[in-house]
Amino acid sequence: MADEFLFPSIDPTHFELTVVGTGLPESIIAASSSSIGKTVLHLDPNSFYGAHYSSFSLHDFTSFLQSQQQQEQKQLTKEEEEVRDSNSSRDTNFIEIELKHQCLYSDIEITSNASSEDLEPSRKFSLDLSGPRVLFCADSVVNLMLKSGANHHVEFKSIDASFIYGEDGKLFTVPDSRSAIFKDRSLGLLEKNQLMRFFKLVQAHFGLNESMLQQEKNRISDEDLESPFVEFLTKQMLPSKIKAIILYAIAMVDYDQESPEQCKNLVKTKDGIATLALYHSSVGRFTNALGALIYPIYGQGELPQAFCRAAAVKGALYVLRMPVRSLLLDKESRQYKGLRLASGQEVFSDQLVMGPSFIVPAPPVLSPHTDLQQDISQGSILREVNGHVARAVCIMKGSIKSNVSNVLVVFPPRSLLPEQVTSVRVLQLGSNLSVCPANLFVLYVSALCDDATKGKKSLHAAINALLKCSISENRETSAHLPDESEVVTPTLLWSAMYIQQLTKVSEDPISSCPMPDGNLGYTDILESTEKLFRKIYPGEEFMPEAKAPEDVVDEQESQ
Amino acid sequence: MATMGNNNLNAKLVLLGDMGAGKSSLVLRFVKGQFLEFQESTIGAAFFSQTLAVNDATVKFEIWDTAGQERYHSLAPMYYRGAAAAIIVYDITSTESFTRAKKWVQELQKQGNPNMVMAFAGNKADLEEKRKVTTEEARLYAEENGLFFMETSAKTASNVNDIFYEIARRLPRAQPQNPAGMVLVDRPADRSQSAACCS
Repeated sequence: MADEFLFPSIDPTHFELTVVGTGLPESIIAASSSSIGKTVLHLDPNSFYGAHYSSFSLHDFTSFLQSQQQQEQKQLTKEEEEVRDSNSSRDTNFIEIELKHQCLYSDIEITSNASSEDLEPSRKFSLDLSGPRVLFCADSVVNLMLKSGANHHVEFKSIDASFIYGEDGKLFTVPDSRSAIFKDRSLGLLEKNQLMRFFKLVQAHFGLNESMLQQEKNRISDEDLESPFVEFLTKQMLPSKIKAIILYAIAMVDYDQESPEQCKNLVKTKDGIATLALYHSSVGRFTNALGALIYPIYGQGELPQAFCRAAAVKGALYVLRMPVRSLLLDKESRQYKGLRLASGQEVFSDQLVMGPSFIVPAPPVLSPHTDLQQDISQGSILREVNGHVARAVCIMKGSIKSNVSNVLVVFPPRSLLPEQVTSVRVLQLGSNLSVCPANLFVLYVSALCDDATKGKKSLHAAINALLKCSISENRETSAHLPDESEVVTPTLLWSAMYIQQLTKVSEDPISSCPMPDGNLGYTDILESTEKLFRKIYPGEEFMPEAKAPEDVVDEQESQ
Repeated sequence: MATMGNNNLNAKLVLLGDMGAGKSSLVLRFVKGQFLEFQESTIGAAFFSQTLAVNDATVKFEIWDTAGQERYHSLAPMYYRGAAAAIIVYDITSTESFTRAKKWVQELQKQGNPNMVMAFAGNKADLEEKRKVTTEEARLYAEENGLFFMETSAKTASNVNDIFYEIARRLPRAQPQNPAGMVLVDRPADRSQSAACCS
């Protein structure tokens, strides 16, 4: 058979866990499971690692998005064929349920203002599919990398600076730490004191100050912790400028907290200060990292690869380019037993974990015997789309801010347009991160949105504002320069905009991994991943500490 | 990527080749001086390091094993990334492994860094009576493709250290073109919250 010629046959055929898709959560599940001694088969239908957490060359990025567009259109016409297929089950011991794909992306627009030579070589680009995203030095994904040994495979660089967009159309440095407050030139002395006092209050609450152990008297009251964060900030007599900095540029809040009627997520004080504490413990965690934020050289796509390698080192078996055709359920118990692969081969496992784009459609006529069956027969209601995130990737010539390359810019809600209800975050990365050729910059822009039109409008407004800011900034600086031509005004060479749906999987029978969310960091994704791991292996340690490679060598030397 | 500080060179070295050609055995022989007749297909370590003194410099190899990801042709791009050297291993008693080794050379030429030092190792040279790939054929192929060639035996240790020495000798001394970042490293538990970055 032609299929078997293309696809290798997998040996062995029984595993304790099968993972389909190599996104970051799936890869972490694979690494954690194999490190507690489970036999793991990790498959991906794609020829690359990372799924929705991948980074691509410019050429591959474009063709990936285009293929997603086509898939979306094809989906509608394919239905009939699949029903017929699933009825022609060959094996009499199993019920086969065809696995379907859902496309996460829509409203894809790609524009190029440059000749193709400006964008060469394509291979030099490493463009993230779910940007902007960074790591906080103290966040859970960093801890997990250290524990799993995945840290040996990735190098990082700091984000040099973060800015907040002010109402007068200028960018201000975010005073995100005590030393930054001290150095800040846009805040008055009173504002500096207010901000400093607030940082101390939060640090005292968590007992973060070295001199200060966590004491009851330093704790923020429970009543305050449960109150809206914005009210707590007001109670602390912080002026609105400082409040905006704390809410949107440090706590990275999405929705406008000042207008509760339109705010989908009013942040509580306890959550607000938790993000502040994470930010503060990130600053200075690593001696070489300048600020709180770091980014992997060669892009986000390195992270899933690093966890997959950690899993492989512990014995997980890796097969790329291997689509899954269907799920095999036991005819009697109707429980999950295994998968039929595109090669036709059947592989069995006790547990199954899948990436977010795979869905198990409701089978036509099946009586609900078990939980699994019941859940599947409820089909579509299991996954509810709860919002969208608009994303843009731009390639620029020249930096949006002179003298810095890797920069975060936050546009608080309504700072750009009256109808802009969510924060827009922009991450600019330069060639020192090996994500683009020299002298070019990659810009990631994102905002949560209800519909594509509104979301894209916010993104466009942010990109235009940045271009405008840098022009006026350049004018100011060039006034002091003898030679005006030295200032490179940033120009937009290429951009891609798309809408990604955000689906929350509530009760899922097949253990679905979280999709990239609209956040700047990985904290929420990791939390859901850990929950999923605990669901399939209750009582087991999530990612036990791996032996450092140095230890392995030391052992040998002591022999 | 090979990086230089004074006369110390750090070099990432990757191993490629068919399952069972003896990649892990070569590493274990070189790093630990051991040989196991029935080596498991993965060796359970992310990488090994070993330092060699060559002429005026010391070369610290960071040797990456495939961890079995080559089995279904699923090596991550991360594996090749920044590698200063590669050893492509085949088994002299298997023509199939020789054919596959040539495929790995092509893959490296496509994916790897152009200045990479590539060694071609015909392993299991102790099994002369079962030989299927002639020395001449392999040597010719290596010459045509700019690789240096040795026949090795992890079992008898023949040519094992030599091949690593030869790589160390050939590593370009002027480096690097890739930006060096920081590797996240936890500091020994002096302070519970702290960790250090080293480059």
